[in-house]
Parts: sequence; C-alpha cells; structure tokens
Amino acid sequence: MKPKRILMAKTGLDGHWRGPTIVARALRDAGFEVIMIGMATTAEIVAAAIDEDVDLVGLNIGGHIDVALRAVDAVQSAAPDMPIFAGGTIPPHACKQLEAKGLEVFPPGSMLTDIVDSANRLTGLSTAP
Amino acid sequence: MRPKDPQDTVQACSDIPLKSYYTAEDIPASHAERVNVAPGEAPYHRGFHPSGYRSKPWRIFQLSGFGKPEDENERIKFLLKNGETGFIMEHDRNTADHCYNVDHPEVLARREDVGLTGAVMQSVRDTAICLDGLPMDTSFGHAGGAVVQHAPFALAAYWAVAKKRGYDLSTLAGTGQSDFNLTYLGCVTKQQIPTDAGLRFNGDIIEFCTEHLPRWVPVSIAGYNGADTGLTPDQELGSLFANAVEYLDEIQLRGRIPLEVAARACGGVSFRASIKIFEEACKMRAARLMWSDLLKERYDIKDERVANLRIHCVTAGSKMAYQQPMNNLVRGALMAVSAVLGGVQSLGVSGYDEALSIPSEHAHQMSVRIQQILMEETGLTDVTDPLGGSYYVETLTAQLVEKSWAFFEEIQTRGGYLACLDSGWLHAKAEENQHKEFMQTESGAANIVGVTMAHDDSSPFEIDGFIGTDDAFDVALERLKEVKRTRHEKGAMRALKDLERVCRGSDNIMPVMMDCLEAEATLGEVGDVYREVFGDWRTPIQC
Repeated sequence: MKPKRILMAKTGLDGHWRGPTIVARALRDAGFEVIMIGMATTAEIVAAAIDEDVDLVGLNIGGHIDVALRAVDAVQSAAPDMPIFAGGTIPPHACKQLEAKGLEVFPPGSMLTDIVDSANRLTGLSTAP
Repeated sequence: MRPKDPQDTVQACSDIPLKSYYTAEDIPASHAERVNVAPGEAPYHRGFHPSGYRSKPWRIFQLSGFGKPEDENERIKFLLKNGETGFIMEHDRNTADHCYNVDHPEVLARREDVGLTGAVMQSVRDTAICLDGLPMDTSFGHAGGAVVQHAPFALAAYWAVAKKRGYDLSTLAGTGQSDFNLTYLGCVTKQQIPTDAGLRFNGDIIEFCTEHLPRWVPVSIAGYNGADTGLTPDQELGSLFANAVEYLDEIQLRGRIPLEVAARACGGVSFRASIKIFEEACKMRAARLMWSDLLKERYDIKDERVANLRIHCVTAGSKMAYQQPMNNLVRGALMAVSAVLGGVQSLGVSGYDEALSIPSEHAHQMSVRIQQILMEETGLTDVTDPLGGSYYVETLTAQLVEKSWAFFEEIQTRGGYLACLDSGWLHAKAEENQHKEFMQTESGAANIVGVTMAHDDSSPFEIDGFIGTDDAFDVALERLKEVKRTRHEKGAMRALKDLERVCRGSDNIMPVMMDCLEAEATLGEVGDVYREVFGDWRTPIQC
C-alpha cells in the first residue's frame, strides 16, 4: 500500500525545530511519508496541502493562536475533509480553540506514540479506540 | 531515576558511565595535580576569585520583554524593582531576527505574532522608549541582538540612545550576543545572512568595542542554544570553544587589535544550567579550565585577566514541564543550584510557565525570588567552589574536559565550527541526542514528574499562559510610518547607501551602522541592504 502522506508546517516565524523534527522522525519511523515545509504562511500551507496531495496536515504552533486558526480555517475551506493535528507551545485556552475546530492537539509533554496513533487514526489506517 | 538493578549502568548526559561511588583513585592522573590548586589559581576550574560570591554575588539577569517598547520598559522596571541586577532587552523574533519591518509580507501574514516574544524596535525612537528611565549608566544592560544579523542594529540603537542621553560610550557596561548557536543551530530563521558574513559582523563588533566600549562584552557565545537544541554537555563545551577559536582566528588574521584584548572580549559566554546537578556544576568548572588551557596552548596567552571566563547561565527551558507547572519552581531552583555550585557570574531562571508562554509578571518575580533565596538564605555563597576536591566532581570534571576536547577536535577535522553549521553536522548531532532523550522518556527509562508519572488531573494550580498586549503590531505600523514621515529622509538614505558600500567592502560595519541609527534608518531597510549584498544562508535542515 502506498504510504500515507503528512504535510508538516510551522505557522510562526520562530525557527525552534526540536519539536517538529522529533515528531517527523517518529512519523517516518511509523511508515508515513512526511513533507516538511518549515515556516510557512497560510497561503503556502494551503497550496502545499493541495499540491502534495497529502492525507493529513500537521501544524507546529509556537505563536499567537489567531495565526494558527487562520491557517486551519483556510485548509478546512480549501479541503473540507482534510484532517489536521497540531502541536507546540500551545496554552490550554488555545488548545480548546483548536479542538473546537476538530483538531487533535499535542502540547509539550505529549508522547510520540500518542501522536503516531493519532496520525494512524486521522489517515484512516486505524479506527478510533 | 533509580536504575532497576543497582548494578545497572548509569550514564551521565555526556555518555560518561557513572560509578556508584568514587575514591581518590578515580581522579585521572592528568587532573590529579590540578585538584590542589586554590580558587584564583590557573587553570581556574575552581573559580577566578578566592573569595568568590563573598566579594561579588552573581548578577540576577532575566530575559524580558514583549509587546510595545513601553510594555517591555514596564516589565524591565518591574524586574529591577524586584531585585534584578542587570536588564535584558528582548526583541520581537518576527521583525528583529529577520531584519524585517512590520510591513514586510512575511510579518503581515502573521501580524498577531508580532510582539509575542519581545518588543518591536524598528528605529532608534523605539529603542529610546524601551530604555526610558532605565539606568544605562549604572546597570549592566543586554541590548539584544541575539541573532547574528540583528546584532549590529540592536547594539547601535542602544549606543545611539546612550549617546543622546549624554553618556560616554567608553563608560558603558553591558553585553551584546550575536550568537551563532542561536542563529544557525537552535532557532534557525526564515532568512539570514550566511555564516561567513556573520563572522565578519562579529569581528567588526569586537574591534569596534575594543576601540570605543572597553567595558562592553561585544559578542557572547551561548552554549545554552546548542544544549537546549540537543547537544550534550561535552558537546556544548566542545562546540562553544570551537566557535570561540573561529572568532579569535579571524581577529588574529585581521591583525588590527591585540589578540589578548579580543580573547578577553570573547570570554563572556553563557551555558545552559540543566537538571543533572553535578554534571552541570562540573561543566562550569570544566569550561574555565578549558578556556585557560586553550588560550595558553593555542594562542600563547598567559595573562590571567584574559583567562577569566565569565559565565552567564540560563536554566534549561526545555526541562520546564507543561503539566503541573508549579513543579517548575522546584526545577528552576535546582537548576540554579547547579549553576551556583559551578561558580557562575550571572544567572537567569526560566519562568514556571516556560512551556506555555513567555513569563507572566508573577513567573518573572518568582525567578528573581528563587535567586534571592539561594543568595541570601542557603549558605551556597559562603565557600568558593564548595564541590572542589570531591572525588566524584573532580573525576567528572576531568572526564568532561577530555570528552569536550575530543568533540572540539572532531569539529576541527570537519573544517571547523562554521563548516559544521553549514553542513548540518551539528544539527544532526543535536537531533540524534534529542531523539535518544525522547525515546528514554517514551520507553519509561526516564521519568518526568507530572508528565510520565505522578499525574494529577485535579491540580489546583492551573495556569493558562501569559498573553501580552494585543496592539503591538498596530502601534509598530503607525510608528514606522511616523518615523519615515518625519525623519530627515536624505540623511537616512545617505546612511543606508554608506552601509551598502561598507558591506560590499571590508571596513568595519559599526561606525556606519551608528550613522544609520542616528539618521533614523529602520530595521527593515538595513535588512534589505544585507539581503542585497550578502544573500541568504542555505539552511541545512528542513524545519
């Protein structure tokens, strides 16, 4: 079976790469194809999600939640069925805002196994527990 | 964490096996003769002053800033009122690190992010607001400019404000940063001048300070930014000195200022103080010893005032947990203990809300209080190098020195520190270590309290992250228009032309950067000159 493809992008202009790189490695180890585009604007994220024909979008969020919410809205509007998950330095109130839009959210301290489980679920490789 | 079996191997972070106890026999012969020196004697692992903290307490020095320049000013005043003994100006990452004005498309696309991590300072007017009423003449100030391409602008802005206030630059004490680890390893930017241009900038800053600001630390290498990206303590040390020799070799090649002066200038560094208390304390001791040996052996510098490595420490941000954040007060205190046991000169304790946001006022206050408690109540300051002579500590110090030099040499065989940034070799090292560390937590081989054990879903101490002000972008945009409308336009354009000419040649960039700031040229305009002349660094990692 063709591996599922995941787009990973950072919504902010803050280049801390430790988190997304570790997550990308775990996802690749689990058999996913990961396309990392780094720091990207909303328009770039939407374009990459479509052009790369991905099955899942992962957002690394380190800045203001409104910037991330705008990216989420744009992806959901361009590709209504596209699942999205997010991770990063996201305070509780912002996690709730993302969850309200249907995202699975992984703040600091999340386990990589949980993130991989989520990717499997969101790309239809496994069903919800 | 306790091993399953007491006989199991326990490793230090630097991959050094630890015994369950140590005796005099364990201290390597090469180090044994050095154990008996007193603090104040070469090679200075025991500290540079016999009276240590009795004569000079460490500087309480917290990263601070957000929002508009006046928001940052208010927070700095709050910290000073609470007992901070120097001040640090944080700049907004979006604009400062990239040398963009707020009207740059990359910033416009993320306008809500502006001001989240530091104040927006696009012209000398903004810097003046941030510094309003701050004791520039008596206090040790960090002007910002942590990222290499931003440093000349941030320093010149600070100095231009000082000049306008009537201060003699030669009397100012403070520090720049211009850190390669941050810029090219730990927190890579979307756009940045290449490393060779960065080396030239740092050489220029060192030379300029030598001539005009002898009490200023021109550049400050931050081992912290390597360590919190994943480098182990030995790698943090090895890469820091590999970085230092790039600066010193450059200065030697130029031959314009005495090497001793440059070496003294490069001797203000920072390290991460992490959670393994003894290994971190040993790291600070090892650092002083290595600097002293390096200067003597590589550059034949024996002047002991030059060998005085001054260390600032910041406690490890990545060790602060998101879950049960009050636990971080304990972590911050213990990491600070490791730094103090290591005899550092300056300290910042990360906020208990570090994993959620920049520090709230309360988190900032607690970071200061932790330091005050250590300084005033605990007796940690009574005796210099209190760990000196411990079989374990002396052995681990010597082992760290040996491993760190091996890493230093490995970097040299790969073309030096800059080459290892350009090729991504250091990034790969850091990533490998991060992965290992994560896997230890995932597998249950290492625990984090409140995260992998001792869960408590009903913690009464929930916090929700600090949010600064919401008008930083709008105000910055207005002020940008204002400065462009009311400055002497021809003067600003002339200064920028001069800057371009100097950038294309080999003269020192700093005099013309002072002209640019005094002529009210803006950050983005300066950045445009860099982008035109130097182009962009080819980032070796995808992130």
